Amino acid sequence: MVREKWTDILPRYQTFISHMKPILRETRRIIEDLDADLLYDTEVLDKIREEEERRNVRKVRALSEFSAMYRSNVYELMKDFIIKYRDRISLIDIKDYIIDFLQESIEALTILRNITNPDQTNLEKTYLHILVKYLERILFPRGSSIKIIYEKLLEHAPEYYESQRHILKTHTHYREDLEHSDFFIIPGISPKVYQIINNITSFFNLDPNYGPFPERKNQEIPMILKNDVFLPYIDSIANPEEEAITSIAERIGMRLIDGIFLAPKEELIDLLKDNNFLRTKTQADGITRYIPQFSNETLILYYLAFASRRRGFLSKELINWITINFAFLIYMGILKWKLTDENIFYSIFKDLQTNEKVLPYLMKLICFPYYLGLDKTKIRDSPQYRKEIFNFIGAQIDNLTYLIEQVGKFCYDKFEKS
Amino acid sequence: MSSEQDPTWNMLLKDFISGLDLAIQHLEERDVERIPGAREALIRRLENMRTHFPKNNGEIFVKAIDDKIQEAFFPNTKNFAEAFKKVLKSRTHEQDYIINELINGFVTSKTKAIASNTQTPIIDRMVEAFSTRNDFHIVDHQFYAMFGDPNKPRKFVQNKLQELVDLFGLVSKELVVERDKRRSERKVYTFYTFPDEILTILEEKYIIIDNELGYAYVSEEFDRNVFICLFLANIAIKRENLKEIGGEYTVNGISAIFALILLLSFMPKLRIDENNPILRDPTFNESNMSVIPKSWMMRQILDKLFEPLIKIIAYRLGGGLWLSNIIDSDINKKIHNQIRFLLKDVNRWILGELVRVEVPIFVEISNIFQEIIIGAETE
Repeated sequence: MVREKWTDILPRYQTFISHMKPILRETRRIIEDLDADLLYDTEVLDKIREEEERRNVRKVRALSEFSAMYRSNVYELMKDFIIKYRDRISLIDIKDYIIDFLQESIEALTILRNITNPDQTNLEKTYLHILVKYLERILFPRGSSIKIIYEKLLEHAPEYYESQRHILKTHTHYREDLEHSDFFIIPGISPKVYQIINNITSFFNLDPNYGPFPERKNQEIPMILKNDVFLPYIDSIANPEEEAITSIAERIGMRLIDGIFLAPKEELIDLLKDNNFLRTKTQADGITRYIPQFSNETLILYYLAFASRRRGFLSKELINWITINFAFLIYMGILKWKLTDENIFYSIFKDLQTNEKVLPYLMKLICFPYYLGLDKTKIRDSPQYRKEIFNFIGAQIDNLTYLIEQVGKFCYDKFEKS
Repeated sequence: MSSEQDPTWNMLLKDFISGLDLAIQHLEERDVERIPGAREALIRRLENMRTHFPKNNGEIFVKAIDDKIQEAFFPNTKNFAEAFKKVLKSRTHEQDYIINELINGFVTSKTKAIASNTQTPIIDRMVEAFSTRNDFHIVDHQFYAMFGDPNKPRKFVQNKLQELVDLFGLVSKELVVERDKRRSERKVYTFYTFPDEILTILEEKYIIIDNELGYAYVSEEFDRNVFICLFLANIAIKRENLKEIGGEYTVNGISAIFALILLLSFMPKLRIDENNPILRDPTFNESNMSVIPKSWMMRQILDKLFEPLIKIIAYRLGGGLWLSNIIDSDINKKIHNQIRFLLKDVNRWILGELVRVEVPIFVEISNIFQEIIIGAETE
């Protein structure tokens, strides 16, 4: 049975975190009680760990395996730290450092554990809600019209455009259907579609044709030949995109006129005009012509705004991709806030094994109506799929790293400073 | 043969000059620019090129291609480590876009490209596989566990790993365990890592060696572009073996992207009116961006400039062998035409104007041209 209720998913999210925290707390207590001089011989730590493992009475195999792995990682990292610094700094300082690192990690886990509450009371005050909304404003804002959403995105584009386009470019694009039997379904952007949108931008800026505005008299809109866009693609490699051009065009606010021209729709014309991506020129014959002056982000952000407005109709791949990015940013942002850069336990938090225990449930929580409002049933549970999408963590872009820092800073200002 | 007596080189230069003449002619007939004086600036620049480029046997080309482009992205050496070091050195935040594009640029040609779309996620997997260990090795079993698909035969992921090992020139060593702990069976583990000379280069920035612990961690800087640099270095040193580097498609793709870099570097910076909205656009950064004319992108003009330029690049990169693969076929023309829209993060549109982000390679090539013009004027 698929567990879909908040009260089903939250405990699952908390399970592993709840097992990580006591291990760290226990370890901190042991280190605090230990005479600093004993740290010189790392065998002491080995013995303590063996002792601790023997006390382990958990019955669920997955949990006891995880706890053993986690404890062993914690002890290994402490040993490495001691070996590295025992001849350089005093053992008492080493002990203090370790206690500090453990304390920071416990605090991070406390935040992660209490990221929200079981009955969603006062949800506006929960970390999860505040952080989802912070990121949503930048990457996937809501609004009552595409225009409003578009303008919100544009506001953050100078600083975060690369992250905004990143959340559209699904890592598993090869699983996407360009055209879905259900016309409303919106997929992510594959590298080829991204290239096609860029080509469309260039053709509009370069030397477009002009034709009558179908909905308004005495006005002319820019249009480009569909064939020009697909001409360079050899070996029929863009055939699927060419066949799906009506759907792709719809997602960037365009339409096909007479089956050969790509031209902006009426609502896109107004939106572009208001944001200086179209300028008007009245000709001698009294006809007003809309001249395009697009930027790289003009059409890509429309796609994102369109996806945001129709967030109930996103493809499975896009939902997984957007939520994993949100979950990852929130998780890493909290770590950035609580852990110092030199914390030796950072690597455990960033480890794929830890991530895949925590993030999938966070992804589902983020989907709930008061958060991103996406279809959580589309979040895949297969471990194989998780492996596939978690790979992106190795391929992080600089702008995401910057955004993580900003989330960390926001957390500090919002929850600590005030 | 010195280039002075090289009839092919002379012919290529002559073709480029004829191309310039035709481009100027077309430009005089049509104006798509919106910035006053942009077309005139471009015509002036093309005329300057016509005057100065043939001088000293195409000295500007030789310097720009051999000393700048090749040194940065396609080193002319047989030594893998040396080539890798040079490509890696040319990495900057913006030039990374170029390096990425050199691999992504082949998406127009599906089947024969080495770095096709399906392989890019695999590069990310390599980064992940190296990042998860602290000895800077990947182990075959670990790789299968991380990326194997239970619905596909093991052979599939084995082949993928082997492909990557060959592509990046990784070295392997085997560890035989006579009785493994779980099943008491004999097991052979294969470890893969970079060759020693590559490791030494990476140690400077990308790998942190902890001698006390005997660990080798990858640093935050270690990313997919390290592998792309490795891939480029590998193609660069094997440039004479077309079969191994992907044949005609790779030759055309690389030559065309380098031709684009060359062309962009030679474009004049335009003076824009202080009321121009582009100056108020938050994405425009006056300190590292310049508005350049866009009319060169028109197909009628670009065809005339690009074809001879691609041939010049191919000839300098791979001699007659590469040149013979730049065939004036319809397919190649289509590919070349597509290239004009690449490098979109450094050759970008802002409010309908074309903007060049002043990355080091553009600045260096442009300086060569400026120096020669100034030298000629002083004389």
